[in-house]
Amino acid sequence: MSDVVFLVMLLGAAAGAGVLGAILGLGGGILLVPILTLFFGVSLPYAMGASIVSVIATSCGAAAGHLTSGLANIRLGLFLALFTVTGAITGASLVGIMPPRVLQVLFGLALGYSAFTTIRQLHVEVAESLATDSLAQRFGLHGAYHDHVLGRDVTYHAVRVHAGAAVMFGAGVLSGLLGIGSGAFKVLAMDTFMRLPMKVSTATSNFMIGLTAAASAGVYFGRGDIHPVIATPVALGVLVGSYGGTRLIARLRNTTVRKLFLPIVIYLAISMLLRGLGVLR
Amino acid sequence: MINVERAVSRVLLIGGSLAVVLMLVGLMTLQIRAARTAHPLDVAHVVENREAGRSIDVFVSLPQLARALGRRPPDPVAIITAGIVLLLATPGAALVVALVAFVRVRDRAYAVICTALLAALVGGFLLNVGG
Repeated sequence: MSDVVFLVMLLGAAAGAGVLGAILGLGGGILLVPILTLFFGVSLPYAMGASIVSVIATSCGAAAGHLTSGLANIRLGLFLALFTVTGAITGASLVGIMPPRVLQVLFGLALGYSAFTTIRQLHVEVAESLATDSLAQRFGLHGAYHDHVLGRDVTYHAVRVHAGAAVMFGAGVLSGLLGIGSGAFKVLAMDTFMRLPMKVSTATSNFMIGLTAAASAGVYFGRGDIHPVIATPVALGVLVGSYGGTRLIARLRNTTVRKLFLPIVIYLAISMLLRGLGVLR
Repeated sequence: MINVERAVSRVLLIGGSLAVVLMLVGLMTLQIRAARTAHPLDVAHVVENREAGRSIDVFVSLPQLARALGRRPPDPVAIITAGIVLLLATPGAALVVALVAFVRVRDRAYAVICTALLAALVGGFLLNVGG
């Protein structure tokens, strides 16, 4: 395969990952790492380095679009990022002390519960408003966006903020301990626990993943895992794809986004449980 | 009235786009030079194994990168790496802009949250690439 063909194919794959990442609130690592290693023959350290570039590029492209459309809530994102970053630092300092398997089983179960709840809520467009939370009021965790599909403004406020923050902290510990991204956990904490509209959850997750990834990006850069030749097409494709994805999500229902998200939750729940139980490495 | 969302959105888009432009300029220069010297880049081979990847210099620290950018003509890999560093620093720049905006609208709680996040971000990055 010639250099140009290789780079153009990589660009296309990255653009696809960017579109999906912008819609689902993920950094693209879950999609890009298998594509790079299986189809492009990229070695795992370089694939992981490309994944961190992809997460930040997705966050730049998607959050830029989501913030102007009102789907991403900056206060919500910053408030919750405080817990993921604290969790990530805790997790990184627990490497070698705490067996990751315990956490993997716990998160596998939490994801299983989330998958079950997601199935039950599959047809709920916007969750019914529950009694407001004092923390949500104190930190202004509410907002509104214009839903083009429903043709009306949707207002929302976060509930069960303590539970959401605890899941965010746990997700941070997991990413610090295992070196994985945790976009899916962030979306679930907002959608399942804090009862926020699915599109607000994925859009706000897009903003947050950039912050979490930037905190650990230095590790990958310092190890030399971010290869310039791979990073360039990945960053370009993902940036363009994710910015385009923000236009696409405006035309989707919350229920459609949830349906697209469900297979990822089920896959993550099963793989996390199997790894925790030692069946998978 | 300052629109925090719009300001942060602008930084993310401009930072991301500038980074990608730098990376593209570097990659194209690298390709042109490789073609001139009749030593194709052989990207597929480079990405397959980490040791082969070392055949083109990968910068792993900021001082090392700054030295390479100062040379004339600049190393194309250094230009790409400058783009990568700009991309990695963009979320941090967005946080700085958010911090300034929250201070100006006197939202003390979020100014404190931004400062704490910024400290964690800068500390984590410099710890790994400063030396």
